[in-house]
Amino acid sequence: MRKTARFAAVAMAAALTLSACGSDEGTDEGTDNGDAPTSDIKVGMAYDVGGRGDQSFNDSAAAGLDQAIDEFGMESQESEAEDGEAESAREERLRTFADAGYDPIIAVGFAYAASIGKVAEEYPDVHFAIIDDSSVEADNVASLVFAEEQGSFLVGAAAALKTETDQIGFVGGVETPLIQKFEAGYVAGAESVNPDIEVDVTYLTQVPDFSGFADPAKGKTAAEGMFDNGADIVYHAAGGSGGGVFEAASESGNWAIGVDSDQYNTADPSVQDSILTSMLKNVNVAVYEYLSQVNDGDFPSGVTTYDLEVDGVGYSTSGGFVDDIVEQLDELKQQIIDGEISVPTAP
Amino acid sequence: MSAVTRRLPRLWWLGAAVLVLLAISVLRVVTGAEDLASSGTVRATLIALVPIMLAGLGGLWSERAGVVNIGLEGMMVLGTYGAGYFGYHYGAWAGVAGALLMGAIGGLIHATATVVFGVDHIISGVAINIIAVGAVQYLASLTFVGLPGGGQTQSPKLDNVGSITIGPLSDALGEVEDQNIFFVSELAAVARAMVTNLSLLVVLAFVLLFVTYWVLWRTSFGLRLRSTGESPSAAESLGVAVLRYKFVAVLISGALAGLAGGFLAMVASSNYRDGQTGGRGYIGLAAMIFGNWRPGGLLAGSGLFGYTQTLGLRQGGTSVHALLLAVAVLAIGLAGYQLWRKQVRLAVGILVAAAALITVYAAIDVVPGDFVNITPYVVTLLVLAFASQRLRMPAADGQVYRRGSAG
Repeated sequence: MRKTARFAAVAMAAALTLSACGSDEGTDEGTDNGDAPTSDIKVGMAYDVGGRGDQSFNDSAAAGLDQAIDEFGMESQESEAEDGEAESAREERLRTFADAGYDPIIAVGFAYAASIGKVAEEYPDVHFAIIDDSSVEADNVASLVFAEEQGSFLVGAAAALKTETDQIGFVGGVETPLIQKFEAGYVAGAESVNPDIEVDVTYLTQVPDFSGFADPAKGKTAAEGMFDNGADIVYHAAGGSGGGVFEAASESGNWAIGVDSDQYNTADPSVQDSILTSMLKNVNVAVYEYLSQVNDGDFPSGVTTYDLEVDGVGYSTSGGFVDDIVEQLDELKQQIIDGEISVPTAP
Repeated sequence: MSAVTRRLPRLWWLGAAVLVLLAISVLRVVTGAEDLASSGTVRATLIALVPIMLAGLGGLWSERAGVVNIGLEGMMVLGTYGAGYFGYHYGAWAGVAGALLMGAIGGLIHATATVVFGVDHIISGVAINIIAVGAVQYLASLTFVGLPGGGQTQSPKLDNVGSITIGPLSDALGEVEDQNIFFVSELAAVARAMVTNLSLLVVLAFVLLFVTYWVLWRTSFGLRLRSTGESPSAAESLGVAVLRYKFVAVLISGALAGLAGGFLAMVASSNYRDGQTGGRGYIGLAAMIFGNWRPGGLLAGSGLFGYTQTLGLRQGGTSVHALLLAVAVLAIGLAGYQLWRKQVRLAVGILVAAAALITVYAAIDVVPGDFVNITPYVVTLLVLAFASQRLRMPAADGQVYRRGSAG
């Protein structure tokens, strides 16, 4: 019996090593360095589709992991999802980590919600964390979610302060509760500055058609419609379709507002000057904070919301286009942190 | 067939276009939905309809030769990558060539499977749709990672092919458009869209539409090609190299679908993006069926779809609200027609539907977003439901033909 168990462990380790061949992201980055602190914590990181190098969500999570590795000397192993893979593939990825002794295991993206729920039940002694989902309730699962509405509130206020036509727009990728959070915060932020402001709202597709997150042509058409109709600033929460929004802004000489990462830095240089600011969703902060708690020997569970207070969300100042209103924005930010303003999460 | 077919007068399509524009003008004045025929809408409609039209043209070539091409979507996906890779490295027109080439490779696979090996057309097409998505993701991760602005899911920004702008004319027409004169403003808006930032690929697409018509219906090559879709054994018995014609037709089909993808990547947006086709290949196929396997009808189908989609994306709520009234009026007209044909029950049913639409129109000012997004599909379905009685596909469409079947 024992022999079999040992054999199974070796086989698992072999499988893991082999699967690691698929990705060139190295492990043990922290331990190579002699001076670096060491730790016996082994982090399993399961990315969503795109993985490292997606210039967005996954990259941000990876940055948080790298920071934790540097500071705490943790060991890590990474694996990424494939587009359109089966639920069982995600479960198997998590099980492989758990079997190989990785603890905690971080799943990046709400796509893992169902599989985390299932695998966490199978491995009650292993700790899991999931980003962007709060549906799993278990003692060994931590849900790391963001107050997107608060960041959106600030860029909404920025838009209202900057607009010359008193008309602004919002382009959502797919009408899901998550994207509606962005809309709600944006509209509330704009109205807090100017109660009479007109906000045009367009969603590119409806559930279950998720192509709205990857269709720049539709994003461009929607934004052009808003600009033609008198809006001069358009905020997008439309993933890959946002490129079209930037183009429409650039071609018509108007402003666009980016989302998730500082898109002034990631967008093409030809449209940079049209990106007023970006709503930042600092996945790296969430990952780092979680791991630093783990490093202190504490495995959090339940829902943790990363909001303005802990810099989980925010706005970017790259390009210097909002420098003149930073004071007002920071004042609003403080009011939100102090609870003087409560930002709605649904439109 | 020909005995009962009435010939339409020459230039009927011009008359139809004027009528449609007139109807839109009336609708704008009645409802006050200003975006219905602005030059921005017309331009965006052109951008929206071209990929659908090109995919539909691809379907037309293939199906006129008797090969069903459900793989258009996959060939479009290949085309987006071709435009991304060649467009980035070698310039815009190389991107066009790359899109054509990659689409043609998809066509080559489909032709080899269906024409040479006699695989079921649907199975081969679906397989291409699946393979294309995976292949393109793989290629993108090989070739776009590490380039400035590129990554696994997108290419760097691509150069656009040139566009035509006649500045002074555009400004003058813009002034006329802003006057809001009934019909004149609409006409100016359409003309303005033609002289402002009109992409050369849009022009090329319409040239291809005409060339397709001319080749398939005005040359002996086209006649032979169509004969392989109507009755391949008869064609073979008369000495037509059936398999060769089918093969060539599917290749051209793939190239056109690839160009549709390239258009999406280079003109409609400005980079390759994973998943950007969003089902337009299927819509193209539907537009072709809508158009009764004819170029003109195909244009009407893709135009209808592109126009309603554009309206929804631009000023969705108000524009679609205005469309409700238009549909209601059309329904009343249809009810009158049915009454004239003594189909009383049907007429009453349609009248009830029209009354319901008018009630909705009066009750709300703006159509909610959920319904705006489905407008193009609903409109297409409605038109198909009323027009599909007269559709006739090529007689041997979808059948596997083996050499020597003529006996």
